[in-house]
Amino acid sequence: MHMPMPASVPSVPPPQPSAPQAVTFTGERRDFRKMLTRGSWLELITLGFYRFWLATDMRRHLWSHTAVAGDTAEYTGTAKELLIGFLVALAIMVPIYLVYFFIGLEAERHQAFASIPLFVFFYLFTHFALYRARRYRLTRTIWRGVRFWMGGSGWSYAWRAALWGALVWITLGLALPWRTAALERFKMRYTSYGDLQGSFEGTGGAFFKKGWWLWLLAWPAAFMIIPLPFIYAMYKAIEWRWWMSGIRIGAVRFENDLDIGDLLGVYWKVVGWIVLFLTLLGLWFGAVFGIGWSTVAPATGSTELKMAIITAHPGILAVLGLGYLLMAIGLNIVMRLYLMRDIWAKVAGTTVVHNLEAADNVTSQGDAVNALGEGFADSLDVGGF
Amino acid sequence: MSAVSDHTPNAAPDPAGGDNAAQPPPANDAGAVFYDGTSNRKRRVTLQFNAALDIVEDGLVIASWPYADIRQVDSTRAMRLSAVSAPTLARLEIEDKTAAERIAALCPALDAARGGKQTGRIVAWSLAAACSIILVTVFGIPLIADRMAPLVPFAIEKRMGEAVDRQARAILGGRDCTNPEGQAAFTKMVARLKDASGFDTPLEAAVLSSSIPNAFALPGGRVYLLDGLLQKANNVDEVAGVLAHELGHAHNRDGMRKIIQTGGSSFLIGLLFGDVTGGGAVLFAARSIIDASYSREAETRADDFAIQGMHALGRSPEPLGEFLVRMTGGSRVATIIDSHPVSAERLDRMKKEARPVTGEPVLTDQEWKALKSICRANGGETGADAARPARKTADR
Repeated sequence: MHMPMPASVPSVPPPQPSAPQAVTFTGERRDFRKMLTRGSWLELITLGFYRFWLATDMRRHLWSHTAVAGDTAEYTGTAKELLIGFLVALAIMVPIYLVYFFIGLEAERHQAFASIPLFVFFYLFTHFALYRARRYRLTRTIWRGVRFWMGGSGWSYAWRAALWGALVWITLGLALPWRTAALERFKMRYTSYGDLQGSFEGTGGAFFKKGWWLWLLAWPAAFMIIPLPFIYAMYKAIEWRWWMSGIRIGAVRFENDLDIGDLLGVYWKVVGWIVLFLTLLGLWFGAVFGIGWSTVAPATGSTELKMAIITAHPGILAVLGLGYLLMAIGLNIVMRLYLMRDIWAKVAGTTVVHNLEAADNVTSQGDAVNALGEGFADSLDVGGF
Repeated sequence: MSAVSDHTPNAAPDPAGGDNAAQPPPANDAGAVFYDGTSNRKRRVTLQFNAALDIVEDGLVIASWPYADIRQVDSTRAMRLSAVSAPTLARLEIEDKTAAERIAALCPALDAARGGKQTGRIVAWSLAAACSIILVTVFGIPLIADRMAPLVPFAIEKRMGEAVDRQARAILGGRDCTNPEGQAAFTKMVARLKDASGFDTPLEAAVLSSSIPNAFALPGGRVYLLDGLLQKANNVDEVAGVLAHELGHAHNRDGMRKIIQTGGSSFLIGLLFGDVTGGGAVLFAARSIIDASYSREAETRADDFAIQGMHALGRSPEPLGEFLVRMTGGSRVATIIDSHPVSAERLDRMKKEARPVTGEPVLTDQEWKALKSICRANGGETGADAARPARKTADR
């Protein structure tokens, strides 16, 4: 609306209405998988410190293989920035945690619901961190030599997220489309590409109209478990299409025709992997306990005593821990490969851009911001991409 | 080169995206796309390999990049370059293979921005950080806890004790046992042990009606004996030994020390493992191993206290050792009373400290019987619990 030309119809000045431009993703799945496997082991060896490098590598891979109208994006963030962001976040979080500890102690004594405000604080802080982390990633995203940018107050976003979250809770999920729309409007209002201002025109009502029946289906499905991935896939497909069609950057529009089938395959594969890993872990634990029963446990004594002695044996603990770690690494690779890379590839492959010529002569604006938000998100364990 | 219609007037005479069709450039030159770092306008330029890399648009040199400043950045389609001396976002994209090779040959620091990742260094520094954190956790934290625990005012310790007390009782599900005769016997035992061992801080001791055979001390001078332990004891010296041991914990303020140690170690280890794959399990395992090593020392000190107390009463600490072994099956592995030293070793110590009995019994036979049935209340509130110890003894 701030743009001089109307956004609704292709404007008069360009001689012919431009054809929609494709978004493409050309990354090789094998490359990403190799990077993940290597990175996950390194993460283990370095006791987690490698996560900053792995996250950066993953982003660089995804960004640099994604092209709009043939021009690939560039991710300019570095692992060192993430590490520093994490350390600074730590320095700020430590006193907060200490205060939290002592307040919690007092609350416990009075047995009141004094710990609820603390929970609210951490909920707010999480959303603040997520907002700031998005800001970091956006300002590291370059396309055609101009960076994206994001302003706005993280706290103001956090308040909105919390209040809308409460409303969703009260309405048993019915308010979710409006919450998503409101938060997306907030984020996009403060998003820009150079001097091209972003906005979000999707409405909660439109989202609700497309997906209300899923809300009805979700209740019986929650008890039957099996249909849940179907429902989730349908929900995500509807959300992606609605979200993409709502995004505006200046007069540039997006359109996505993601199929439910596209997502369903991915989610079922993930479910299959989880079942496989859990089964293997169960067999592993069963075998270890079986061996422990016949070697470590005393011949006499109650079952609880035997179990207690088995679980207290350092050798057995180590072998159980090893099994758990292997499963965790496997699951981590599967999650990132399917839910991050595959979904990214599918969404990119089904998206087209309309009116891209509106972004042909954009002046760069704004600078890269620090990675503190990423650090907070990381230390709160809510880091996304 | 691009599907996007180009608004730049200078690009107009160069139709159909041909790199070198319109004006024949010198053999030295190559076509490229240039973004100047202030706008996303696609500028078609030619490159001239002179003393520096000259970027030429319409016959004018619009930028000149020294070869040493040129860095390659991420791109999967064309060679994409930036220069440290140019605006941060100025980009040069070269699709022409021969030109790209030429650039690679001319620029000495082409990969300085990307090849900077040395996995070996990351691994080495991570391990160094891990080592220092582990050293601080193993050696530094106990030292800090030893220094800090006595400095914490008793009032604060008492408050912490109240908080832990609620949780402990909720987990055990036991009630205070208040059979009057048993209570009297218990009070006498506590008083005798306090006097004999020189225990001088406030103390609240009680028997709880849980069938778990254990006893424990909480911060703030709270000592609990569980009924299950009373039922398993064969004589009064065994219970007196256990109680003396727990008094030792209270006297040494081990509860406070443990809070500082656990808080400190879980904080440091959490810091270390942050987000690692399966961090939860590693965290738990590491915590329990380190906590166990802390408490083994505390247990040994509490044993010392118990031995001294029993000596002062003229009783032998040996029954305590035997009792411990009996309760844990005497195995040489870590036990049900987790994080305690192996009970066989503790029995060895108690045996070494065994002295001939010189003092009068801690309780009379009558009192001992009363203590054993302290939870077998006449009030009938623990009627359900009465069945449990019987089952436990049958297990033996």
